[in-house]
Amino acid sequence: MPSAAEARALYRAFLRSSQHFGTSYNIKEYVKRRARDGFRDAAAVSDPAELARLWGAGRAQLEVARRQAIVYDLFSHKHKHAMDLLHQRKP
Amino acid sequence: MALAAAAAGALRAFAGHSAGLGRASVLGSLRHFAAQPELEAEQGDVIEKKGIQLRGAPMYLDMQATTPMDPRVVDAMLPFMTEQYGNPHSRTHLYGWEAEEAVEAARGQIGGLIGADVKEIIFTSGATESNNLAIKGVAQFYKDKKKHVITTQTDHKCVLDSCRYLQQRGFDVTYLPVEKNGLINLEQLAEAIRPDTSMVSVMAVNNEIGVVQPLAEIGKLCRERKVFFHTDAAQAVGKIPIDVNAMNIDLLSISGHKLYGPKGVGAIYIRRRPRVRLEAQMSGGGQERGLRSGTVPHFLAVGLGTACSIAAQEMERDLAHVKRLSDRLYNGITSQLQGVVLNGDSHARYWGNINLSFAYVEGESLLMGLKDVAVSSGSACTSASLEPSYVLRALGVEEDMAHTSIRFGLGRFTTEEEVDRAVELTVQHVNKLREMSPLWEMVQDGIDIKSIQWSQH
Repeated sequence: MPSAAEARALYRAFLRSSQHFGTSYNIKEYVKRRARDGFRDAAAVSDPAELARLWGAGRAQLEVARRQAIVYDLFSHKHKHAMDLLHQRKP
Repeated sequence: MALAAAAAGALRAFAGHSAGLGRASVLGSLRHFAAQPELEAEQGDVIEKKGIQLRGAPMYLDMQATTPMDPRVVDAMLPFMTEQYGNPHSRTHLYGWEAEEAVEAARGQIGGLIGADVKEIIFTSGATESNNLAIKGVAQFYKDKKKHVITTQTDHKCVLDSCRYLQQRGFDVTYLPVEKNGLINLEQLAEAIRPDTSMVSVMAVNNEIGVVQPLAEIGKLCRERKVFFHTDAAQAVGKIPIDVNAMNIDLLSISGHKLYGPKGVGAIYIRRRPRVRLEAQMSGGGQERGLRSGTVPHFLAVGLGTACSIAAQEMERDLAHVKRLSDRLYNGITSQLQGVVLNGDSHARYWGNINLSFAYVEGESLLMGLKDVAVSSGSACTSASLEPSYVLRALGVEEDMAHTSIRFGLGRFTTEEEVDRAVELTVQHVNKLREMSPLWEMVQDGIDIKSIQWSQH
């Protein structure tokens, strides 16, 4: 059973993985949003069996996120996404 | 974890982003190790294609044309593209056994999403092939006693074309009209069913306007009248809940690339109780129960299966997300512009598909103006010709409004920011085009366009 600190570390690990994923603005935003929603919903769960299952699923999904973050980086476009350029322009 | 980060760093250097295009030698890029991929400055972000310049990759709002693959799907497929490359039909060695296991697992995942048994799922190359197989296969099998097929005027081109193929071979086809909101009339359908009708084919969610047909009611009617019910659910599977038993569906077409899976694969659901028989359209070694010969592309099948299992898990979240974005888009545009019409029923719809007509604006110029937003006008299948979409024509939309329709496609990966930016750009361009439009000026002055006598020069 994970402690609160471990759960927070897992969440941060997802957010860190979202910094890669090549120039895929949409995937990066989705990873952040889905992690936020997933952890928020899991915080409301109290059944220990369910929590253990969610923890295992979270660890497995983190491995997927890490692997794919590298794969998307390897084959990414050389140009940025329009939304990232927009963020750059506005100071 | 440290190893992965180091590997990632080394791999990024190999990818050569930071080396720049000037340094030709590989050795040069090997010596330059960057901590982060250095994305090129302004010049690199300008893309020039077809005579227009784009700054950065456009925002993707065309989810009905295709969807990006979910990274979880890519992850599931990669092992089968690298080391697990066996043919799933090879019975004599590990490579084949591994591949077969993967294909069967995928079959189960697809069945799980729609409430079907594994024996009822056949892999095909996509929904177009599944539709062809369903319509031609069933009609041809039962052709001795049943010579009639019913479909709708708004169905996908591959369904309509398959029906035309049957007509050329002596079958009768009824193309049911739709109401102004895009839904079929159940009484008209009941009247159209004859004693020699073999099947009714009605698409679940329309790809152009997003309306959802009353599948459960159609299924119930068809079951009562002992007619097979086929639905092209390419735009529906994984997006709205589908249960083939509750809805009395006998045949159903699935498309991989509409639910964040790979392109080039799809599936067809064929009911076994009561048995639906059909004639195979692909002859060969008898794979897929003799109904679809050809090696099953196991990595694509795995991709489709994974996409279905993710969809089952994420459906509620995705529906809520898409509804929120859709309201934001529609309210954002209609609160700043007049003369905007939503095509298709405003309740029986999948919210990820918003097809809007902008009065007094020319569609192609609006699309060209919205070059930073990837949207489409009409469906990808019909946009090669300049004809207005046949779906909008079936709805009774007038020529000028049909020409100005834009379809916004939202999905799992669309963000609120993109929607806000799309609203901003759309409003900007529509206003710009309307300012230049003499028709708009006349409308503002209160002149009724319909009463004008246009003179010939």
